[in-house]
Amino acid sequence: MTTLPRVTGEAVARIEARDKVTGAASYAADHPLDGLTHAWPVTATVARGDITAVDDSEALRDPAVLAVLTHANAPRLADAGDPMVAVLRSPHVAHHGQIVALAVAETLEAARAAAGAVRVTYDEQPHDVVLTADRPGLYTPDEVNAGHPADRRRGDFDAAYAASEITVDAVYEVTPLHNHPMEPHAATAVWDGDALTVFDSNQGSTVVRSTLAALFEVDEADVRVVSEHVGGGFGSKGTPRPHVALAALAAKAVGRPVRLALPRNRIAAVTGHRAPTIQRVRLGADADGHIDALAHETVTQTSTLTEFVEQASVSSRMMYASPHSLTTHRVARLDVPSPSWMRAPGECPGMFALESAMDELASACGLDPVELRIRNEPPVEPDSGRPFSSRHLVDCLREGARRFGWHDRDPRPAVGRDGPLLIGSGVAASTYPVWVFPSHAEAYAGSDGRYEVRVNATDIGTGARTVLTQIAADALGVPLDLVRVSIGRGDLPAGSVAGGSSGTASWGWPVHKACTDLRQRVSDAGGHVPDGGLFVRADTEQEAGGGTEYSRHAFGAQFAEVQVDTVTGEVRVRRMLGVFAAGHILNPRTARSQFIGGMTMGLGMALTEGSFLDPEFGDFTERDLASYHVAACADVPEIDVHWIDEDDPHLNPMGSKGIGEIGIVGAAAALANAVHHATGMRVRRLPIHPDTILLGL
Amino acid sequence: MDFLRPASWEEALAAKAEHPTAVPIAGGTDVMVEINFDHRRPDVLLDLNRIGELHDWEVGEDTVRLGASVSYTRIIENLRSVLPGLATASHTVASPQIRNRGGVGGNLGCASPAGDAHPALLASGCEVEVASVRGTRMIPIDEFYVGVKRNALAPDELIRAIHLPRADGPQQFSKVGTRNAMVIAVCAFGIALHPSTRTVRTGIGSAAPTPIRAKAAEEFLAAALEEGGFWDNGKIIPPAVARQFAELVSGAANPIDDVRGSASYRRHALGVMARRTLGWTWDEYRGNERSARCA
Amino acid sequence: MRVTFTVNGREQEADDVWEGESLLYVLRERMGLPGSKNACEQGECGSCTVRLDDVPVCSCLVAAGQVQGREVVTVEGLADQARERGGRATDGTTLDQAKGWQAKPHGAQAAQPGQLAPIQQAFIDAGAVQCGFCTPGLLVAADELLERNSSPTDADIREALSGNLCRCTGYEKILDAVRLAAARQDEVV
Repeated sequence: MTTLPRVTGEAVARIEARDKVTGAASYAADHPLDGLTHAWPVTATVARGDITAVDDSEALRDPAVLAVLTHANAPRLADAGDPMVAVLRSPHVAHHGQIVALAVAETLEAARAAAGAVRVTYDEQPHDVVLTADRPGLYTPDEVNAGHPADRRRGDFDAAYAASEITVDAVYEVTPLHNHPMEPHAATAVWDGDALTVFDSNQGSTVVRSTLAALFEVDEADVRVVSEHVGGGFGSKGTPRPHVALAALAAKAVGRPVRLALPRNRIAAVTGHRAPTIQRVRLGADADGHIDALAHETVTQTSTLTEFVEQASVSSRMMYASPHSLTTHRVARLDVPSPSWMRAPGECPGMFALESAMDELASACGLDPVELRIRNEPPVEPDSGRPFSSRHLVDCLREGARRFGWHDRDPRPAVGRDGPLLIGSGVAASTYPVWVFPSHAEAYAGSDGRYEVRVNATDIGTGARTVLTQIAADALGVPLDLVRVSIGRGDLPAGSVAGGSSGTASWGWPVHKACTDLRQRVSDAGGHVPDGGLFVRADTEQEAGGGTEYSRHAFGAQFAEVQVDTVTGEVRVRRMLGVFAAGHILNPRTARSQFIGGMTMGLGMALTEGSFLDPEFGDFTERDLASYHVAACADVPEIDVHWIDEDDPHLNPMGSKGIGEIGIVGAAAALANAVHHATGMRVRRLPIHPDTILLGL
Repeated sequence: MDFLRPASWEEALAAKAEHPTAVPIAGGTDVMVEINFDHRRPDVLLDLNRIGELHDWEVGEDTVRLGASVSYTRIIENLRSVLPGLATASHTVASPQIRNRGGVGGNLGCASPAGDAHPALLASGCEVEVASVRGTRMIPIDEFYVGVKRNALAPDELIRAIHLPRADGPQQFSKVGTRNAMVIAVCAFGIALHPSTRTVRTGIGSAAPTPIRAKAAEEFLAAALEEGGFWDNGKIIPPAVARQFAELVSGAANPIDDVRGSASYRRHALGVMARRTLGWTWDEYRGNERSARCA
Repeated sequence: MRVTFTVNGREQEADDVWEGESLLYVLRERMGLPGSKNACEQGECGSCTVRLDDVPVCSCLVAAGQVQGREVVTVEGLADQARERGGRATDGTTLDQAKGWQAKPHGAQAAQPGQLAPIQQAFIDAGAVQCGFCTPGLLVAADELLERNSSPTDADIREALSGNLCRCTGYEKILDAVRLAAARQDEVV
């Protein structure tokens, strides 16, 4: 057998790119179906209450309107255990913007007109939507997102903090943030008897399939979910969202195919968002900057529908040596839209707070912020006492500092000037845990020398289809173009969700396993695939299902340079650099773009993206892309990315850590720290508005 | 809904007379958003795209007659030398796609306080040519904006053209926002020096219920320039004068707090923009004067 | 109402068009051209960018009735248009790059190799495509830029693409792709 050069690690071009550049790639709302009808949501105009009446007479006057579905007349869904998809089941309104009715019509226009003509009467109840750090009703959840305990205590924080020579005590705030993937949530559903086909935009169609089967009480085998191309998600499509349940429900009710493409300005209320956080960080250190006491206390909110607790304090448990540690989460259950995952939930807002506080500590100690972090490098993971499987934070910091020219800067704040502009630079550390979930895969060798691999991965833009093909080709020992990988369909071998930066590891592992096995079988057959082919199945229920004796995280260092206009208060980013250590990078081309994309979203979080819950209406005021400012290309400067290749044997056969989220972690802190260096002013609330800067200067 | 496609201006006026509630649509960049978002559902849409003359402009000796539908892109490409303030403002409108479709007529028709053209129009001292089957009239820009998103048009009238004085001096436009592109103004300011009449005109956007002029600031500055003989001696404007001008501009605004910015920030930013744009225009004026003298 | 116009060089007709309907809706739902994407419906994101009589516009903000008798080019027509202009699609691709995209296409309607416009090929080669939802609009805008300006500066590129939002890439690879297409265009000329 000849040995082919490995293709993992190569910058292979995206396999489905051709379909995407020609417009041939079909997304959830792109599938033409005979007899297709359209749905449009009616959303609650009160933040809390009960529906007392629905008048659809006006709406139904148009013969093109097929139905107005409400809790009173829609086929009743079974309980699938997820309140987000328990649509049209109850007259209760839990938040403004909740979908209370759905108009279905022959055309989109008729559906929209009908939705506008539906009159809903409410018994409105007073609502409570304002989060403050000292409000009544804050409680300690049983656990926070990702299954972490709400509180952890090590040593005696209070005593150690009181005894510390140098202390920092600051409160950091992050407003609600919206995922806004470019593709709004959409689903097209059609029933054939008891069999349901759904074209859906999601980050994992295996779960969509099982959820729909549970909701409609049909066999999973009868539910087909197609999600071959998904226009981004960033967490907001991580679990089934209301649109898919509604589309299937409506299709059942009208006996026709139904498409529900949520308009952009409705998705913030019903598909999740990053919950706001108010985080108090206290650091106690000696004069040399060695941290003795660290407290990170997060106050956040969830909805009355679901309990989702942004685990913002969690990264403070493992980042730095901290003999005395207190990390807590308190949450208020408010009449607000349900929060959910948004790129690096927990780490992203949490590291904004911790890494801003580290910068404050560096100032207080008169230490270089890079050096301060190096001094607090822990020998083992502080919270669990487990060794790190690999940890190259210090290398990232040093390499980043070298590449960025960090040590050339004048460390004093507010001294870098260019006319009316103040120039400053900042650094922050970055981290993201290694997740891996059990998945299944099949590999098939044809007698024609071609291979097919099947795994229900989802490519939300990450490059999953491409990197899985690379993994398969290497494991099979064949050229890429002989391997076809099928993903994005609920009937494929079960794959875990495209979330938690876990996809490549979770799907790649069973693919690797199946392909390695298949290669052996082909070899056993004398290198000759018999007629009818060879077929193997593999899963990682054992390998990925259990715990690990190692603490596994990716790390990184973010550097940023900003200019602050002293006259208008406008902050503009001049350059950013990220250096990451995330195991083996399997495809530098797709990886680089993932890192930069994450950093860009972090730039948005720092400067342009912010949302506000109107206390009166109880809904977001920034609901569309005109008011919620995603960074445009003119805002994004030169962003440079490098990585340190890690040889970590404790991960998976590919040696990879996830890369989809770490790019956003620490980016906002690096920028806020740069603003401090430029101006001498600490901005502890994001986004950094010109108003805030001017008031402070 | 009816969709009317008049082929000529006369047909358009007749249609508007017959359907006074008809909503004119040209570039569509405002009207279509309202329809897409179901904010309004007009009985009649009156498409003005087929009326060629609305896309034309004429540069006369003293004035530029700008068809209501001339796109911002065309203004930037063709009219920078004669309408520098408006061209600069046009450049900050949204995105290339929007600038390719939108025109000043639409900005005037919507009369949103955030419309980017308004400060430049106010500073230029233009007149808006509106017409109906009853006839044509010229509305001075100062009388055009009558309330929040309301203008001085009668229900049967359409905007045909804008008559702008050719720039007789430097003009500037400035806008503050959170992003570098695609941003609705937190607030905006336009200034035009008019050496021929020794006057200064200004325009403020997004800082009051309607686009407004800062008249007290204009009068103060004109008086100060006159008194110091600055128009003739071309000296640098004393900082105290610039400061006072900026304060008066801030004071003219009547902004609100909203998600885009606080009222106090808007006032501050207006002062900043007033001082900066005054500096730029005056530098340019002095430069022009000097080269004129040398020539 | 009935609307007749030319799409990607072919005359098309749509009946029973609602008067408030956008060009985007007509393209996607009535003409079977779902390449142009609906992502904001307010002209903020550029995902629906098409050329209307050569000019890039947000098709979500053009009323269907306004395109009567006019010419529209969508992402689906970019390759044909480039061929008419005499552009060459596959220049300068390295072997490694080629390997990736020659793997069997996944979509049934995928175009055949060699049928791409230079800007499409450059987007593939530069890795400018991620989730792909902003891609069609960006391609149309970038293609128009290169048609009008064969050697754009970075500022020109940023300016031309300032109306197209991308949530995945951070734009760097997109700028690279436009630079690449411009460079290849130079080689050919």
